[in-house]
Amino acid sequence: MAERSASPRIAVEERLFSLVLALLATEQGLTKTEVLSTVQGYRQKFVVGGDNTSLERQFERDKDDIRELGIPLETIEAPESSGNNQLLRYLIPKGAYDLPADITFSSAEIAMLSLAATVWRQGSMSGESQRAILKLRSLGIESTEPVIGYAPRVRTRENAFDPLRTALDRHQVVTFVYVKPGGSAPRLRTVHPLALVQYRGRWHLSAYDEGVEDRRTFLLSRIVGVVKVKNRTFEAPTETGLAERALDELDALWQANVARVRVTPGSDAEARLGKRGTRVDAGTDANADAGGSTIELHYTDVDLLADELAGYGPEAEAVSPERLRAGVIARHRRTLEAHAPTEGGRHGN
Amino acid sequence: MATRTPAPQARDKLAFLLSFVPYLMDIERVSVADAAAHFGVPAEQIRQSVRLIAVSGVPGETTSYQHEDLFDIDWTAFEEHDEIALTHQVAIDDSPRFSAREAAALIAGLQYLSALPGQNDRAVLDSLLLKLSRGASGVPSEVLVGRAVVDSSLDEIRAALTDGRRIEFVYLNSRGEREVRSVDPLRIESVDEDWYVRGWDHARRGVRTFRLDRLSELRTTDIPITKTPADVALPETLFEGSDEDLAVLIEVEADSVPLIAEYIAPDTQPVPHGSRVRVELRLAHYHGLKRLVASLPGVVQVLEPDEARDAVAEWSRQALERYGEASSVS
Repeated sequence: MAERSASPRIAVEERLFSLVLALLATEQGLTKTEVLSTVQGYRQKFVVGGDNTSLERQFERDKDDIRELGIPLETIEAPESSGNNQLLRYLIPKGAYDLPADITFSSAEIAMLSLAATVWRQGSMSGESQRAILKLRSLGIESTEPVIGYAPRVRTRENAFDPLRTALDRHQVVTFVYVKPGGSAPRLRTVHPLALVQYRGRWHLSAYDEGVEDRRTFLLSRIVGVVKVKNRTFEAPTETGLAERALDELDALWQANVARVRVTPGSDAEARLGKRGTRVDAGTDANADAGGSTIELHYTDVDLLADELAGYGPEAEAVSPERLRAGVIARHRRTLEAHAPTEGGRHGN
Repeated sequence: MATRTPAPQARDKLAFLLSFVPYLMDIERVSVADAAAHFGVPAEQIRQSVRLIAVSGVPGETTSYQHEDLFDIDWTAFEEHDEIALTHQVAIDDSPRFSAREAAALIAGLQYLSALPGQNDRAVLDSLLLKLSRGASGVPSEVLVGRAVVDSSLDEIRAALTDGRRIEFVYLNSRGEREVRSVDPLRIESVDEDWYVRGWDHARRGVRTFRLDRLSELRTTDIPITKTPADVALPETLFEGSDEDLAVLIEVEADSVPLIAEYIAPDTQPVPHGSRVRVELRLAHYHGLKRLVASLPGVVQVLEPDEARDAVAEWSRQALERYGEASSVS
């Protein structure tokens, strides 16, 4: 231990930087022992002929960190040494590391990408888009004037988002408890995450559900509790465009579902729902003279629409489908019951 | 992996170093101030990084980090003129590729923006998406945001904002009041599928935020704007609190706190209460509160004050009457 405390403390980033440089510079790769005994930050702690277990663990964690940044740290096995991991060699191939030379960006493109990065303000998407911008800046191209006048934002506020995104990238099987509205008991689902898409403001997971042996779409807001990662992976799908397909399917669903809602003239419901939907022509609207106009709205999920319509209170009346109407009424009852006058009790404060 | 704490910071520093080196190689000589401005980081972070790079390198043939195995800089320029020039470089030739996840984050952001006026040139977008995919070290993850559904008024507001013209429109506020507003447009904002214009409201003599789906009869005037974004500090948050805001105590499922996060009173934290949490919200008036609570049935319960509970209950009662349902609770 004496030699360790005597050596100067090397900052983590210096050790990581030195490791990347060493693995970029080598052509045939370095063995673990070569890394530990020669690379800055490891060599100071390396004990020749001694026990280097904790240093080896350090190296394993550092490799994970480096790979997290998208750096292609590869492991090659010498032909004569299969199975002996002391002889594995590590390297970062330049061709896989370097941004291809023919990829360049104009100032206007940098400005567009910078705006795209600002869309994310929270969670892993924010950190990663900022890192992508950092790499773009390394090209030394000055951005044109930032795209003025826009401050767009997409939220990833569901707790399930980041763990699902990581599982998606690593092809890890996950389980979560999913609640379907309408009283049925929450069920544990075991799925292979295939795509995460936000459609009309809602995050959805497209995944292969092992229980039903088929692909299903889940609303992230209906995942209860923690997403658990199973200790096994699934085979990476060979097809691409899975996110596009999930969006297309949601769009087809949206087109197919139509609700009718009667709204109070001059109300917030009329203004906002009217902009989103289609006003039903007075001639075909049997209720035209009932003191309100009728709007047709498309939707993907009847319960989400019921939540939204409940927010409009007496300004909006769901006419059809019946399940929507019943759902909104049930929601108003629930809210009313939860806000009945209290009898002097101050809620246990 | 969830329990490792020191890594993210060091990882971010590593990402910075790997981006900073190729920049220095290309630019040959740059002042610390210009480099800091280019990367949008403090000058001291630039200096620390330069000092680290200057003593870093590869083990080399001797495996002992000889002088020729290390980066080197023009030390005189650095120490006396705060200027950076690499005089020797090792191992790194180019900028790093994007990670699959980084590329995916930008791709999803671009897709979301692609419906916006001024951002919807399909050829430009497709070329950018291709560059991001080709420039990534792995296949970008399958994460997408559907193209924003953009309100028809956005084009005109954007044009007025670019030209610096005042706009006028009829606005329906959440109290149900309709009035003509005269506004210098400063910024178009969005949160997921909702779009807003933030601007200087001449009648109110202050910055206000307007939902695009609540405005109508939009008209661009010939009057130049009198306030620019530089004149008024636009905060990052969409809604600003005011001293006149009402405080409301609510109880909510712990998992659902993010749904009401933007209304939580500053400097307060949710307090656990059984399986739920209690937290104080700040809202301009009960009209906004009753709409919010009614749209989260069973999720949010208002506890205090009684006026707030009554406003929510009355909203539901009126709704049930509309459906011809007698309210069972009175």
